Amino acid sequence: MTTDGTGMACKALAVVGWLLCTAAATAADRVPVPGGEFTPVIAPGPNAKTVTIASFDLDRRPVTNAEFLSFVRASPQWRRDRIPALLADQSYLAHWSGPQTLGPSAEPEQPVTHVSWFAARAYCAAQNARLPTWYEWEYTAAADGTHRDARQDPAWRERILGWYAVSAARKVPPVGQGAPNVYGIQDLHGVVWEWVEDFGGLMVSGDSRTQGDPDKLQFCGAGALSTDNREDYPILMRVAFLSSLEARFTTSSLGFRCAAGNTP
Amino acid sequence: MIIRLPMSIAAAAILGGCAAGPQAPTPSHNHVHQMEPPATSLPGESLYQLPADLDSATGDHVALASLAGTPVVVAMFYSSCTTVCPMLTLQMQRFEAALDPVERFRVRFVMISLDAERDTPSKLAAFAAEHHVDASRWVIAHAAPANVRSIAAALGVRYRQLPDKSFSHSALITLLDSRGVPVARTQLLAGDDPAFMAALRASLR
Repeated sequence: MTTDGTGMACKALAVVGWLLCTAAATAADRVPVPGGEFTPVIAPGPNAKTVTIASFDLDRRPVTNAEFLSFVRASPQWRRDRIPALLADQSYLAHWSGPQTLGPSAEPEQPVTHVSWFAARAYCAAQNARLPTWYEWEYTAAADGTHRDARQDPAWRERILGWYAVSAARKVPPVGQGAPNVYGIQDLHGVVWEWVEDFGGLMVSGDSRTQGDPDKLQFCGAGALSTDNREDYPILMRVAFLSSLEARFTTSSLGFRCAAGNTP
Repeated sequence: MIIRLPMSIAAAAILGGCAAGPQAPTPSHNHVHQMEPPATSLPGESLYQLPADLDSATGDHVALASLAGTPVVVAMFYSSCTTVCPMLTLQMQRFEAALDPVERFRVRFVMISLDAERDTPSKLAAFAAEHHVDASRWVIAHAAPANVRSIAAALGVRYRQLPDKSFSHSALITLLDSRGVPVARTQLLAGDDPAFMAALRASLR
């Protein structure tokens, strides 16, 4: 509730309080996530079901347009008119009105979107942080307001699926409006998709056992998707989406947040 | 941590010296490589826009951008891999063998390990020896974990480490032109690959 309060206060004090609120939000931005044993929706390997997540810190909210603008101003090589094509496609920051201007289609408190994996990574590195790994993201996103692992709860599932049903049509909401989960982290569901450090490892066709059969997906195809775990569906949607990306891709619903500790 | 200014490529290229040069590295070559064009003159699509460094099996520090100047055939692998990686190596050697001696001298072959933890330079040196790669043209390299991820991402190599420390990875061979722009890719790991060879020869013209 304190975070919601901050958001409200920021709105109420739109002009005078803006700097203060931004500073407060930034200072409290990253929160500790205690580690633990976790069963990801996609088995980590043959004959393995669980992974051990070490304790780490994760941003309370996705990175906003305002925050990314500060980064681009400080590191102009990441401006949309200067970034090499290797590191971002043509729609990189395309919703901003200029290379260093947000404009009407990019509100300061909306999560930044139209960012590539390379750019997201560079932003986090500039904050002495990194992107979370997929397992870290999945582990944290399994929580609701009271449980670390709410995946068996139909309400948790329905909320996420409800967002999937509307996300393409509506405007991206500002960050910080979602209910905090048990760690105090917001907006893991319901706002944007998020880059993870190892998005390139999510759905890999097995190199050795499927040689000559490139369409066979070693993990997702052979393992998780053949199960009847309907409750895994919201997360499998994420996996499918992330695995379809290339590191230079940018889209209107893909943002990120940073993590720290336990550098992978 | 990882991605810094693309400008730093130029600095890295100088620091990297000629470690990966087609000749055996000697200090006297360093000044030659300092003359290489700065990163800003590289095309935006060039892999060398990544400010990533490699450490070769011969113990040399190789800035990615220092590979500019000749076509490069590049793949990612790991040395303890007993299935696909030997085929990758063999296929790259097949490309090498198909070139005539003059062409061969002008192509660099680069294998970058996905296994940042275990593929130390000495391990990679053993791999190079085992596969009889020609050290004057081949770079078998290790990179920091963050650099491995960015290079793999830029090349489109998808990979994942399994609990037993092995990797599942796409078996992909990429041809970079002399400025680092990917111009051909292949996933064919056995037999003739006329399309890739044609692209390789074209990149030498």
